[in-house]
Amino acid sequence: MAPLKRSASESTYSDTSLPSQGGPLLKKTLVEDITAGTQVPRSTGPGSERDNGATKGESDDEDEGGTENEASDDEEQEKRNTGGPAISAQDVQVARATAELFKSNIFKLQIDELLQQIKIKDSHILRVEKFLHKLYDTIQKVPEWEPTALDDVESYFKGKIVAVPFADPKPAPTVQYKFGYKVPDVSLIGSFALKCATYDPKGTSIDVLLTMPSELFDKKDFLNFRCIHKRSVYLAYFTHQLTLLFDEEHLSDFLQISYHYFNDDPLCPVLRIQCKPGGSSEYNFYKANFSINIIVGFPHGFFDVKKLLPNKNCIRVQEDKDTMTPLYNFSVLSSSTHEHYLKFLYKTKKQTEAFKDACMLGRLWLTQRGFSSKSSHSGGLGGFGSFEFAVLMSALLCGGGVNGNKILLHGFSSYQLFKGIMKYLATMDLCSDGHLQFYSDLNPSSNLPTSRYLAEGFQTPTIFDKTTKVNILTKMSVTSYRTLQLYARETFALLSDLTKDQFSSIFLINLDKYQEVKYDMTFDLELPTQSVIVEKFGPTEKIKFVSLENFVVNKITNVATIALGERIKSLQVNISNHQNSFSVTKRRPNNTSDVSNIRIHVLINPNESEKLVTKGPLNNDENNSEAISFRTFWGKKSSLRRFKDGSITNSCVWTTSASEPVVSQILSYIFKLHLAENAKLSNQTSKQFQDLLPLPNLPASSSMSILNLGSFFNVRKSFDILSGHLFKLDLPLSIKSVLPIGPAFRYTTTCQPVPFAYSNPDFLQDVILEFESSPKWPDEITSLEKAKTAFLLKVQERLESTNSEYKTFFARDESIPYNLEVVTLNILTPDGYGFKIRVLTERDEVLYLRAISNARHEVKPELEKVFLKFTAKYLASARHTRTFENLAHSFPLFPPVVRLFKKWLDSHLLLSHMSEELVELIAIKPFVESAPYFVPGSLENGFLKIIKYLSQWNWKEDPLILDLVRPEELDLGTEIGSANGIDLEAKVGDGVRDNLSVSQMKAIQSNFTTLRKVDPQGLNIQFFVASRNDPSGILYSSGIPLPIATRLTALAKVAYNLIQNHGLNKQTVDLLFTPAFKDYDFVVKVEMPTSLKLSSGVLEAGGFKNLEQQQTAFPKNLSQMSEKMDPSFQLVKYLNMKYKNSIVFSSHRYPGVNGGEKGDQNVITGLIRPTFKSPLKFRANMDANVLPVSGEQVILNKEAIFNEIAAFGNELITGFEFN
Amino acid sequence: MTSHIDSMKNGFLAIPFKLNPSNKVKSGLKRPGDEETQTIARPPAHYMFMKKHQSKSELEQNCLFLVNLPLLTHLENLKKGLAQIFEQSGSVAHISQLLYHDEFGLNDVDLSSLTSDLMSTDSPEEKRFTPRNTALLQFVDSASLENAWSSLRKYSQLSEPSKLANWTFESPSMTTFVNFYKPLDSEYLKEDIYSHMALFEQREQQAQEEVQSSIVDEDGFTLVVGKNTKNLNSIRKKILNKNPLLKHEKVVKPPTMVDKKAKQDFYRFQIREKKKQEISELLKKFKQDQEKIKEMKSKKKFNPYG
Repeated sequence: MAPLKRSASESTYSDTSLPSQGGPLLKKTLVEDITAGTQVPRSTGPGSERDNGATKGESDDEDEGGTENEASDDEEQEKRNTGGPAISAQDVQVARATAELFKSNIFKLQIDELLQQIKIKDSHILRVEKFLHKLYDTIQKVPEWEPTALDDVESYFKGKIVAVPFADPKPAPTVQYKFGYKVPDVSLIGSFALKCATYDPKGTSIDVLLTMPSELFDKKDFLNFRCIHKRSVYLAYFTHQLTLLFDEEHLSDFLQISYHYFNDDPLCPVLRIQCKPGGSSEYNFYKANFSINIIVGFPHGFFDVKKLLPNKNCIRVQEDKDTMTPLYNFSVLSSSTHEHYLKFLYKTKKQTEAFKDACMLGRLWLTQRGFSSKSSHSGGLGGFGSFEFAVLMSALLCGGGVNGNKILLHGFSSYQLFKGIMKYLATMDLCSDGHLQFYSDLNPSSNLPTSRYLAEGFQTPTIFDKTTKVNILTKMSVTSYRTLQLYARETFALLSDLTKDQFSSIFLINLDKYQEVKYDMTFDLELPTQSVIVEKFGPTEKIKFVSLENFVVNKITNVATIALGERIKSLQVNISNHQNSFSVTKRRPNNTSDVSNIRIHVLINPNESEKLVTKGPLNNDENNSEAISFRTFWGKKSSLRRFKDGSITNSCVWTTSASEPVVSQILSYIFKLHLAENAKLSNQTSKQFQDLLPLPNLPASSSMSILNLGSFFNVRKSFDILSGHLFKLDLPLSIKSVLPIGPAFRYTTTCQPVPFAYSNPDFLQDVILEFESSPKWPDEITSLEKAKTAFLLKVQERLESTNSEYKTFFARDESIPYNLEVVTLNILTPDGYGFKIRVLTERDEVLYLRAISNARHEVKPELEKVFLKFTAKYLASARHTRTFENLAHSFPLFPPVVRLFKKWLDSHLLLSHMSEELVELIAIKPFVESAPYFVPGSLENGFLKIIKYLSQWNWKEDPLILDLVRPEELDLGTEIGSANGIDLEAKVGDGVRDNLSVSQMKAIQSNFTTLRKVDPQGLNIQFFVASRNDPSGILYSSGIPLPIATRLTALAKVAYNLIQNHGLNKQTVDLLFTPAFKDYDFVVKVEMPTSLKLSSGVLEAGGFKNLEQQQTAFPKNLSQMSEKMDPSFQLVKYLNMKYKNSIVFSSHRYPGVNGGEKGDQNVITGLIRPTFKSPLKFRANMDANVLPVSGEQVILNKEAIFNEIAAFGNELITGFEFN
Repeated sequence: MTSHIDSMKNGFLAIPFKLNPSNKVKSGLKRPGDEETQTIARPPAHYMFMKKHQSKSELEQNCLFLVNLPLLTHLENLKKGLAQIFEQSGSVAHISQLLYHDEFGLNDVDLSSLTSDLMSTDSPEEKRFTPRNTALLQFVDSASLENAWSSLRKYSQLSEPSKLANWTFESPSMTTFVNFYKPLDSEYLKEDIYSHMALFEQREQQAQEEVQSSIVDEDGFTLVVGKNTKNLNSIRKKILNKNPLLKHEKVVKPPTMVDKKAKQDFYRFQIREKKKQEISELLKKFKQDQEKIKEMKSKKKFNPYG
């Protein structure tokens, strides 16, 4: 037993020592490698000079300091050696190499650190190896069993605990073949054997292969489940004997055994061994968190591989010899190639230094996205796990291009290998247009053809091994493959991002954790047990799909994929009661035929999802086969339509709705048609969220899609007409520009614009008017404002004379603090919209800046805030509006999402403290920077992602830097030629896109650093939100009270936790939008004399459509408009001004939305600032209502304040609550 | 509050006013099982703090400095409140005006005077300010002030709540709030603008004339002024501060002609220096990155399963 006493370090690190010194398990497996002489460690000497000439360009532009000077490599070498003694030559070499071989130094260091983290602990390996050796010895003790007939087998197991896990259908009693047990060949396989396994909190599995000796088989046993059944009996006998032996050895106290379908394949049951805690046995590996799969394999090369090709039939149903049985064939074939692939991968590993690291990275990347080696045919993502990743890597190291050219080189770093594979997956189609073929031959001397990409697709994902005739991707369904491609594309784009560090998006975030965030929509499908679909599962289907689950999942996937077409990006079907583990006393899991509960996850393509028409083929010829299949597929929904261009097309027409997405309508229809009459499809979450959006009081608004921007377009149209008139006016100074800056122009108002709904706080939309430049503007601010007003008076006078259909009035504007002279001209248009016009001159900015320099030192910060307000309102607003208007067109879901987010903020009384622009910038985050997720495709998904971001945003340390550009269409070079080179660069950018450059990014970063140097805790400015429009990052976020900012974060945390723990349902969604008044020091209830709901243009939530009540005109006397305005807003404003220093007051900004059923309620909450919560020293300038407690100390006189408030809002306030 | 406090250590008298408690507040404060004892025992009171104001300014003689004025205080209700106190001690004090009271802080910052001195009235009131929530109460003569002060002092030492002076808040009506939304009266607006602009133009004219007539400074130099210069604003009130948004921006010097022409890689030593520099930069960055990773590691940022 001497070889067993290896140290763990030896076993983990010294790969080369492995074959010669390894224990019996490993020795058996790998001894052939030595004889084959494959392990020639790649020399890394200077002579080989990292054969990556082609990747020189890889060295990143990011490293300014590290910019390579390629011309004189040799010279440098020399210098490095003779260089100053302070710099060690080795350091330099490491630094240079990493900059070259990895994306950047920091990326390489991050990878190193990550690999350390996911490595399996040596002590754990040591522990489990102890058991493995024990297991090996125990296996050797299992007695042989002579060939036995089926009857005798059954009687043997009668009365025993262990059952035979026969696959369906059970062997008929008439079968002639015999079953038996002979000592197997035992070897360790899988990633644990390759030492590529990673730590996984859910447990790591170790695969042990028992290869059945070939004497147990006949040559024809691959037919009709024969070998499968023989294996089942073999496994059962083995299990039985093993339990007896475990008992003998006193191991059964802590060992748990169960059957398990290997990779979800019902044809391949394996024995799983796990540990219970407790006991003091040295063999208990519970703490190491492993599970051991004992896989029973067939002898390699025994069956004729040609007969097991994917297109062959190996299960004969009556005379049928043509139905292909690809899943069965794969199951048989792959059971005989486990060891072969281990050797193949081991060979590659020996040749490629970074193979192991790349495997670990790939494995982590896949698990974070929910991929595994499990079959995806019975639902879920799968068919591509670490094994497939490793095989693909090996294939690409031997070629893989169109001409068999190499995609990856042996000298690549782990980062390069990983990126190369991502690029290959992203760009090369392995399903419909082509496939990859390779040779897994182990013999190095034979001059094998390299792997190559062939432009012939089999409509199923294919990486075909010519040596073993196995399609590595058999377990992968088409949808699973498409999803993998989506993620690979995204990751490849992230890897090519030079401006931001995307490391955590690529590796550190587990997307699979919260399905609500990962997917846009989730549907629950209930199928009645006696449905059409179950009946359709006949003998042919049985041999084709192997299991009912596979069949149903396949059917649903197909139907949904055809029905939804371009409307979705990806789809995942899961069977809710799916089980693949079962007790050794059972033949199979309990509910294999229970397919009644199904969950469908969808990623939406928002550009298509809400389209009204599903277009089919042209109706050129009545009996065109395409047309016929379209009509049969859609049933009576299909109809003929003539389109604008005159073409007549088979199509289906859907209706949009404010509460239900079109996708869910289509699915419900098509499932009823194709699966079962009474199939029940539900998607409550989407409805709940969509119903939360305030419904505008417009005709047919309940049938308007949430993506419909019609109401906003009407405002815009009205504005365009008005600005046309304004330009024509005869004025002393001509108009240079009329710029729309209100939120309705960028589709982000909380309530949709409704004509004449002037109670809506957003009713008057801001517009900036600029005259041609003039030196005559007064050089003093009050007079400047008066002069502006004089001009506005002129505009009003002229407009009234030329266009008397417009109504106008003047109002004071308070958007700039301390500037009390700003007057706006408000224009009401005949079609019921309102615009608030303010004048900007070239003098304003100078005056505000001058005010800062002239102010006393202590008021300077206040004046800087004034300047920021002015800049935000007058200078930056037009650009902000234009940017967001464009973004809203690129991200169709952004407008409804930001509106819902604003409503959420307002229901929690936070909105009134934040500028609209800041809210919009935060809300756009999951859209412009979605990685590692995709751009939100549904209202709920967008909203949840905002909440998620806010809950995790540590604004003390992290700035929010936004690249406000439309979604990236990464040019992947889809022509086949693109995978030709070893060039790993993406061709990013078509030149039109205006991404943030590295230097801009750095400038913004340094702005943030300087800001935090002064204010490390973020007491003054919490949210640093920068974009190209505002590199300072503070334009919209200054002046938010600290308690409000922390409250926002706290609320988001609570909300996100709630969803994580309780999921999305009616209660949780309602709770999300319910304000928590207990957190405030006191709450004041307010009631307004008039309802503001309808006059704000908001419809009753119950869908009660009383359009008659809609206002259709402005009052004759415009001063009557004030009667339907919100008085509570003014009350809160003055309260905040009076108690500025001691209390923060909040209230709903939109009583029409959040003000109870009638929209006449409001609440005012008060948060006492922390400094005033305890007694403090009396000072004359303390600015607070206090009462004395001693000669020096005072405390806040709350009672007096409450009475003051009660007196102030006497007619509005209905009650107080104190906490 | 256990003991009675009549004055603060820094010389302020604490003057309480009894408030008429609002029922809404009372019912909100009431908790089940909580008897009304507390509220009966001591009615809510508002405390003002007062001190004699000392100033050299002519205009601020005979003043009391008031801290913490109640809601919507103006001269009339203040007079009414204080009259009760003066009555108790039978003294007479005549109040003339309330100065610098700015309850909502609207005039905390006077933008006009900060941008130009054209519109300033040169009254000291414009430049004078008191902290927020404070004001000056002026009496007609020093005798009145003394009378007031002594009766306030007496009053502040009272400890029976029954004798406290009452203060009644004025409640703005609903219309007051709603009126904020009313359009401005056009005629008034026109009038206001006309008069303001007229004054402004006159001042501007005046200022221009002053500027144009040669200004001779102390050293006997004449200030040369262009003929379009209207005033000395741009000269006197310079913009010293940069745009606060650009505060942090680094200024990059554009390369001079000499820099452009000079060859950087002519001599061998230049090349060598450059290489050295590059390598040290590279190393520096490498070390920085390592530091960063260490920091990230300490924050447990590498847990992919977190």
